[in-house]
This record gives sequence, structure tokens and C-alpha cells, in this order.
Amino acid sequence: MDIMNIDIMDILMYAVYILIFPGLLFTCVFGLWLAGIDRKVVARMQHRKGPPLAQPAYDFLKLLGKECIVPDGAARITFLAAPWLGLASLVVTVLFIPIGGLQAFGTGGDTVVILYLLTIPTLAMILGGSASGSPFAGVGSSRTMVAIMSYELPLILIILAVGKAAGGYGVTFSLGQITLFQYLTAPFILDWRLVPAAIAMLFVIPCEVGQHPFDVGEAETEICEGPLVEYSGAPLAVFKLSHAIKMFVMTALFSALFLGGVTTGMLWLDIVLTLAFCSVVTLVCMSLLHAISARFRVEQLFKFFWTVVSGLALVSLLLVWFC
Amino acid sequence: MFKKLIDNAASKSPWLFHINAGSCNGCDIELVAVLTPRYDAERLGFKLAGTPRHADIVVVSGPVTVQSLDRVLRTIEQVPEPRVIVTLGSCPRSCNVFKGSYAVAGPLDKYVPIDVSIAGCAPKPEAIIDGLALATKILKEKREAMK
Amino acid sequence: MLPFIKEAVQQLFSKPSTEKYPAADAPAPEGYRGRIVFHADKCISCGMCERVCAGGAISTTSVETEEGQLITRRFFLGSCTFCANCADFCVKNAIELTTDYHMVARDESELIVEGTYLKKKPAPKKPAAKPEAACSAEPETPTVQPRDDGLPVSDPSKCVYCTLCAKKCPAGAITVDRAAKTWALDEDKCIGCGTCQEVCPKKCIM
Repeated sequence: MDIMNIDIMDILMYAVYILIFPGLLFTCVFGLWLAGIDRKVVARMQHRKGPPLAQPAYDFLKLLGKECIVPDGAARITFLAAPWLGLASLVVTVLFIPIGGLQAFGTGGDTVVILYLLTIPTLAMILGGSASGSPFAGVGSSRTMVAIMSYELPLILIILAVGKAAGGYGVTFSLGQITLFQYLTAPFILDWRLVPAAIAMLFVIPCEVGQHPFDVGEAETEICEGPLVEYSGAPLAVFKLSHAIKMFVMTALFSALFLGGVTTGMLWLDIVLTLAFCSVVTLVCMSLLHAISARFRVEQLFKFFWTVVSGLALVSLLLVWFC
Repeated sequence: MFKKLIDNAASKSPWLFHINAGSCNGCDIELVAVLTPRYDAERLGFKLAGTPRHADIVVVSGPVTVQSLDRVLRTIEQVPEPRVIVTLGSCPRSCNVFKGSYAVAGPLDKYVPIDVSIAGCAPKPEAIIDGLALATKILKEKREAMK
Repeated sequence: MLPFIKEAVQQLFSKPSTEKYPAADAPAPEGYRGRIVFHADKCISCGMCERVCAGGAISTTSVETEEGQLITRRFFLGSCTFCANCADFCVKNAIELTTDYHMVARDESELIVEGTYLKKKPAPKKPAAKPEAACSAEPETPTVQPRDDGLPVSDPSKCVYCTLCAKKCPAGAITVDRAAKTWALDEDKCIGCGTCQEVCPKKCIM
């Protein structure tokens, strides 16, 4: 696009995309909603009454009002900038994910961009943790790195499998094309060749988000929430918000990859449907797993993801390629 | 308006940090009982934080032994403002039966002001919920007093 | 893993087992040892509660007035172990541990239970007292000398007639009448074990 031709309407349009829908404001509200139902449902599954649905929002607001302490041994600028870096990259990620029929920034290589963008929030956490100078944060950061290595391989395999299924002769990296293909044919979740990949994705989501059975990096009972150990006040609030938004990003990615065919043509209905699907995916892959299982050890996590989950994704890839 | 939202949220999401300052474990068990499905403090927004930096309410149990005194004070200092210090059981309030022991440096209020004391040896979980509810009220007052 | 999934989904659709505590009252079970209630009118100031208190929570202060001693007994719940030793040892059942467990305080004074009562001067009793009071030059100091034979003797100026010695006496040799304020020893039954001296809260038995 020629830089001179961008008129004021385009700029406004992008501002709305980035700040309101589907950018910052929308993802914040919806991420906090997802985190809320997750906590409520986990509590109900454990036979408890559970916190109110707005609890993550209360947590976020309260943390904004707390004093922010920067430890003496910390690298001040990195320590304070890391959470914002993570939040910004998550908001950018959302712009590449089609919600209903709407994709704010469509390119030919969406999935590759998303893969890179998705590592940034986790890297920001590692960065912030290492900058804090606490040994707990050091242990947490190294564990988080193991977690990244664990889920990146199956995630790439899943995206390749889906891309191949949607791309025909080649592999497509465009999410727009993937959802369009599903719109014209059927959602990929109904394609038997891609069912293993969908199951693998359901395991990748909680690991990427850092939800309970896979939260080796943040294990609050053993290493005091890992990289977050020294954070307090507003930076911690931003990390908690990023965590909630990550839930939304990952579930939205799932619905784009496997349920993207649910496009009715009406934007509002699409959005509502996508949100409903996101909520269901959250309940199935995060709340249920959280309620019934204990935390993996680091080497167990690595082994599980590189054998079982990668295996499932690989089976799908081979099936798509040769059947 | 935003500030008002924050003020309101201050009492709705109190995160606890529990310090055992040489307690006999009775009060500690009762505090954990508050988080079980039967009493489920999470429905009131309470959560056990893993680190003092995340906490709003510091719950101290035990008579503050000489060994733990330094650590207790350092941990309390790490909690960001506004914070509320709650003593759980009789020990941190007065050293209880350990009064006069060479190994005890307490009671806690010699070193830091105590906001809420929950009496009992050990207190019933309902009494702990009472105390924590009072602590959230104080938390809100402190937040509103903060500029 | 599968049975856990079944369990979790079942729980999801059943009523939670959480109690509605702050909204609904939850009474403590019978026999729960909670907040102390002190019936000051029953107290005979034997001081037994203070001696047996494990946590050192009980203290007594007295103020001299014209009519007698104004005695204040104070129970600091912040130092109490709720062992109920004081209530068990109290001969007059003046101390009671209730089932009230709502003991939460912002201020130390909210945790103090106290009671004040007047201990009248023993002046009107003097004419009816022991014979040595009549012939003695200084009736205010009725010093009772320890007996040579090792049997106990009570000092009437200190004795509060709490009957503890009578209860503890293994031989049943002591008779105490609270109403008539008399202390009597059956010398034939007494075995000189010293238990009465041991238990006497006022240390008036020699």
C-alpha cells in the first residue's frame, strides 16, 4: 500500500482494530471472561462454590492499585518493560486470527507470524523473570524454556497438517484461506484425518497458556510462581491480563484452525458463535484437565509432548499428506 | 471512575500469604481448612499467593521464635502496600504458652503493628473467615487512605 | 484418568458442598471451648484459675476502698489456649467457656474479658472469730503458729473457705462450711500428708 494513499478513515479503522475490536479492549474483556468461567468451573468440578465470574477482573483491578516494588538487584528497565512487551505482542496476535469472518490483518503467512508472535509473551516472561535477579525466577525461566520447546514442535506439526489439508497441492500458511476452505467444505474437526491433530491441539493450548497440569514454569507451590516471583502491582496485573488474553488467543486459534467453517455471514452472530466455541474449548481442555490432574514434572512434560502429543500431530500430518 | 473501580476491587480480591513463625501447625491446618471445598474461601476472592510480593494480607501464626523473627520481618517488608497483617491464634498476639521461653522473641506487636487478631487456639475456620473479612475491610480503608 | 473425569463432571452438576458461612450462621458444637464468660458475683478470689492457667492469660488487680477490696479479674483471650483448666478448677463454677467462637479483634481491648467484685472487709466477723482474738493485744494480726505435731492448721485471716482442701483431703479429715465460715480438722483421721497445704490457693494452711 502506498503510504501517501492512507487517508484518515484507514487510520481510524486500524486504530479501532488495534484498540477496540478485535484488539485490546475486546480481548481483555473476553480473556477475563474466559479466565472467570475457568475458575468457576474448576471450583464446581472440585465440589466448591467458586469465585464470582468477575474475579479475574477484580484481581486485575486490585493489582493496578497496589504498590509496585522493583527489587534492588533487578535490571529496572527490562523488569518493567517485559510485561508490556508480552501484552502488546498478544494484542497484535489477535489481529491475525480470524474471528467469525473478520480478520484485521490478513497476509499470506499468518500462521508463521502467529507462531513467532505467540512465543514473545512467554519470552517476555522469561526476560522479566531473569531481570528480577531472584533464583526462583531463574529456575522458573529455565523451566518455561523447556515448556516452550515442548509445545512448539507439536504446534508446528498441527499447523502444517491443517495447512496441507486446506492448501490442496501445497501447504497454505494463510489463516484466511484455511477458514475459507472450511467455510466452503466442512469444519476440519469433522475430518477424520485431522482429529488426532485437534486432540494434540487441545493439549498444546493449556501448555502454551501455562494452565495447571502443565504450569511447570509458574508452579506456585514449589518455586513461588517462577518468573513472576518478584513482580507486584501494575506489572503483575499486566502479566495476569496477558495470561487471560492468552487463553482467548489460543482458543480462538483453535476455533480458526478446526472450527473456522462456522461462518454464517452475519458478523455479530459469528462473533457470538466463536466466543461460545472458545468458552467450550476452554472448559474442555483447561478446566477439566486442571480439576482432575496434578502438575507434571519438567521432564515428564517434555517427554509427554515430544512423544504422545507430537505423535498425534504427526499421525495427522501423514494422513493428510498421503490419504 | 477508574479509581473507584480499583478501590472497590481492593476488598474483593485479597490474596493471602501465610508465614509460620514457629507455630505448632494447629492454626496452619485450620487456615488450609478454610480453602477446602467445605469453607471455600475462594468464593470470597481469597487465594493463597506463592510469594509475599503478590499478597495483600499477611497471616502470621506461631509465637515468633528467635530464629524466625528476622525472616518474618523481612517477609512482611516485601509485601506491597496496602497490606494488612493478621495474627492467627493466640501465639503471635501474646506468645501464649511459650511466654518467657528463651527461644521466643515475640509477641509480634513488639515489631510491627497488628491490624487484625483472630483469637482461638486454634481458631475455628469460621472465625478465620470472620477475621479475613474484617481484614478486607481494613484493606479497603487503607487503599482509600492511600493517595 | 477416566474415573476422575467422570467424578469431575458429576460434581459439576451436583450441589456444591460449600457452607454458606458468612451469610448463614454456623453454631459451634456442644462442648466447644470458646469465649470465656466470668461470673464475678460467684468468685471467692481463691486465685486457683490464675495458678493453673497454661497461657498466663488471667491476671488480677485489686483496689483498696473503704468497704473492702475491689478485685478485678481479667482474662486476655489473645493469650488463652482455651484448655478450660480454669473452669475445671474453679470451685464455684464462676468461669464458663461458651460456644461463641467469633473472637476477632482490631484492637487488643476487644479480646479482654473481665469482671469486678467487692471483697468485703472481714470486720463484722471479728466478734464471732476464734478465742485468741479476744485476748490478743493486736487482733488485726491473728498469726497462727504451725503445729508441732505436723498436722495442718488454717489461718482464718487468709482463708476464703473455698473448700478445696476438704475436697482434696485423701482421708476426709477436713470439714469446711462456707456459710458459717468455719474450718475444722478431725485430728484422728488426718494422716499429715500435706495435700491440703499443697492445694490451698491462698497458702493459708501450715
